[in-house]
This record gives sequence, structure tokens and C-alpha cells, in this order.
Amino acid sequence: MDALITATNLSLNAGGAQVLNAVDFAIRPGEIVTLIGPNGSGKTSLLKALLGLVPATGTVARQPGLRVGYVPQNFPRDRSLPMTVARFLRLFAPEPAAQAALARVGLPGFGPRQIAALSGGELARVQLARAIATGPELLILDEPLAGVDVTGEAALYHLIAALRGEIGCGVLLVSHDLHVVMAQADRVICLNGHVCCEGRAEQVIRDPAFAQLFGPRVADELAIYVHRHDHIHEGHSHVHGPGDHAHG
Amino acid sequence: MSMAPGITRMDEFLIRAALGAGLLGAAAGPIGCFVLWRRMAYLGESVGHMGLLGAAVGLLLGIDPLVGVLSLAVIAALVMSRARDGAIPAGTAVGIVGHVGLALGFVLLATMETVRTDLLGYLFGDVLALSAGDVAGIAIAAALILAGSAFFWRTWLMQAVNGDIARAEGRASRFADLAFLVLVAALVAFGLRVVGALLIVALILIPPAAARPFARTPEAMALIAAGIGAASAPLGLALAWWTDAPAGPSIVLAAAALFALSLLKRAR
Repeated sequence: MDALITATNLSLNAGGAQVLNAVDFAIRPGEIVTLIGPNGSGKTSLLKALLGLVPATGTVARQPGLRVGYVPQNFPRDRSLPMTVARFLRLFAPEPAAQAALARVGLPGFGPRQIAALSGGELARVQLARAIATGPELLILDEPLAGVDVTGEAALYHLIAALRGEIGCGVLLVSHDLHVVMAQADRVICLNGHVCCEGRAEQVIRDPAFAQLFGPRVADELAIYVHRHDHIHEGHSHVHGPGDHAHG
Repeated sequence: MSMAPGITRMDEFLIRAALGAGLLGAAAGPIGCFVLWRRMAYLGESVGHMGLLGAAVGLLLGIDPLVGVLSLAVIAALVMSRARDGAIPAGTAVGIVGHVGLALGFVLLATMETVRTDLLGYLFGDVLALSAGDVAGIAIAAALILAGSAFFWRTWLMQAVNGDIARAEGRASRFADLAFLVLVAALVAFGLRVVGALLIVALILIPPAAARPFARTPEAMALIAAGIGAASAPLGLALAWWTDAPAGPSIVLAAAALFALSLLKRAR
């Protein structure tokens, strides 16, 4: 199938620093792609370049009329702008879709709440609800778990994976959390200004470039983790609630 | 006081002043909300300052000062909105340009013997001198500004909520951005006669600030701000009437009094 977005030879300079260096990228419908890489490796910049938010060189081709749902890394809340959750969602999507999306992210009844009064985790869910309510063909999520506690993280990733099935959209996401990211992705792209390596999670972590970027310890740890079939096991730093087991 | 025939004439200019300032205040409400939300107070102030230069240029060229004010306000708004934070913060850059306009306008007006007496009027407004034609002009401008605000509301709001999301999802519009700046400039241009170059930004900022604690949605805030802006006119004129104070600053003081009252209510 044709790619939703295809980027060729993307480069970006910011303040004299080469943030992106000749990056090629494509994502197909229904595919979950995760971008990983150390701080400053250009993950957010790549998303922004794909979305046309930063002046990168190279070409970005979108499928004509592509509907994108974007969850940015930062969503500064403005106390001077009164906004209920319901009004916020209806600004971008029709009422029934807004209500359904709010229920889908586990926040039914949050409509009358003020956006500025939400907790970090609630805001992350509302952001996701807004993005899916627009009926996107491509979800672009930049650290969608900022402010979500450890318990909520795994649940939210499963939600994102489930949404891909329900909506049939492609998902491109950036996250710091290597464990959960790798368990849910169809394809992992390891970025450090350029694409270091990419492929299925188990391929990427065996790539020497990955070990070089994250250190051999992380690579070994993840290798064991992925080998155990995405299963978040006991004794691990991840805590999860009942019925919250990860499946690939 | 007896019912002298003179009262009628006085009533007429007071009614014209109340209508002109009230309509302008109502139109300023919704636009002012966006000036507040988008942190554009400096821009509004500087566009107001540029208005004085516009008036001076208009008089110098022998055209209607309103045309001069409108042209310069539009140009100033379009140019200054492009300022970005750098080594010099955008607000500072905008403030510098605005004050250069104010100073230059002063100097130009001072070189023109015949209009020197009107200087205070340009700085603080001359709302009691509004003619019926002026009021009609303000009414048309206010109607256009309110209609424009309603038309572009959703796009402006998406932009104010999060510019990156609006652009990434293809919901932003350059045209809507331009329209906003032009309407701010129009507000400034017509406000120059009412509260003057120095105080017009007050009429743009104070009503939305006073409306904030009473609103749970952006639309409610805009409507309440329009109401407060409109109500400030008769309240201020009454204050001016009873204390013999200048009318324009009294209207701003009335808006400020409503803002002070709003502080008693905690924002939700």
C-alpha cells in the first residue's frame, strides 16, 4: 500500500547545529512506528519536519487530503483561556465523535472539566482523545505519556495499539520508554541525527549501532525483554494493574 | 438644574459619545480576548502608538487622518507581528517600534501649527466631539469587526489553543491571521477618536481581563468582555459628567473599576 507520508533526504539546521542529517522516512497505513534515540537526537524535530512545523530541507510528500492527528510534546495550558474539555474537543471534532473519544480514553464525564485544572495524566488522555476524535489516518504522538504515571503508561500504550486496530490509522510515536515502545511497535527507528538502524524491535536491539547509542547494558536488558515476547514480567521496574498484561 | 433648552444639545453629544464608545467597546471585547490569549498586549499598545504617527502623516498629506491612522496601523500590525524572540525579545522590539512611532508622530504634529491644540485629543481621545457621521462610521466598523470575529472565531481559537496542532493538522490559515491583525488595526484606528492612542490598548485588554473570572468557555468570555466594554462607555461618561474629568480616560477608569470588581470573583 502507498505510504501515508514519505520523506526523502530531510535535513534540518537549528542554531548552527545539524539536527537532522539526510533522513529518509515512510509510514504505511495501519503501521505503528516508534522513534527512539537519546536526548537531542532529533526525534521531535523529525516529527515537526514531517508536519511542516520546522523549515527542513528535502521533500515531504503526504497522501493527498491526509488527515493527521497530532499530539505535541508540550501542551502549554493557558489559565487566561477558559476551556472545558468538551468545548476543546468540539473545537476540532463533531460532538458524537468527541464524546466517544473521551469515553474511549477512559475519561467519560470529564466534559465539563476545565483543561487548565486537569492532571498531567488526564491531559495526556484528553490530548489523545482530541487526536482520535478527528478520525485521523495518521496519528503522530510526541511523548504522549508525559505526566502519565508508571501504572498508566502501559495501559495507555495498549490503548494506542488498540486504537490503531479500531481506527485503522498509522501511528508514529516518540517515546523515552524503550520497554513499552518496543513491545508495541511494528517498526522501530533508532535516530541520532540520522537513522542509525531500523527494523523490528528484536532486530534493532541486536544492531551494533543500537548498542553504541544506548550502551551494551540497555541492549542486553532489552534483548532479554523482547525475547520474552513483550511480556512485562514480575520483578521488573514496571508495575502494572490487573488485566493489564502486554500482548504483542 | 432646570430643564433649559441647552440640555437637549448636551444630551445629544452625550448620546453620540455613549453610542460611539459603547459600540467600540463591544467590538473590542472578542478581539481583545485573542490579544490576551495570544499574549499580544505589546502589539496592541504599539499599534496604538503608531496610530498617532498615522494621524500626523494623514494631516501632513492633507488627507482624512482616519485614513492615515488606518493605513499605518495595518502596516504596523503586519510588520510587528513578524517579530520573534531573539537576542532582543519580540515584545521589546515591538515596544521600541511603537514608541518611535509615538515620538515621531509627536514631532510631526508639533511642526504643524494649526493642529497643535488637538494633540491631547489624539493621545487621550475626544469622544465628546464625535459627530453623527463619526458615530455612523464607528457603528459600521464595529459591525464589521464583530462579523469578522464571528467568521474567523473557530480558526483563531484553534490557533490560540495550540498553534502547532492547528498547523500540523492543516487547520491554520494565513488569511485568518492577517484578518486578525487588520481588525486589531481597525479597532485602534477607530478607537483613536474615542480614547486616544495611549489608552486604546486599555479598552482592548481590560474588558477581557474583567470577563475571565466569569467565563467557563472562550465564547462566554468574549460575550462578557463585549458587554463590559460596552457598559464602560456610559459608566465612564457618567463619571466624566459628574466630576468634569476628561471623557476618554474616564471610560478606561470605568472599565478598570469593573475589572477591580471582577477580582472579587475567583477564576474557575
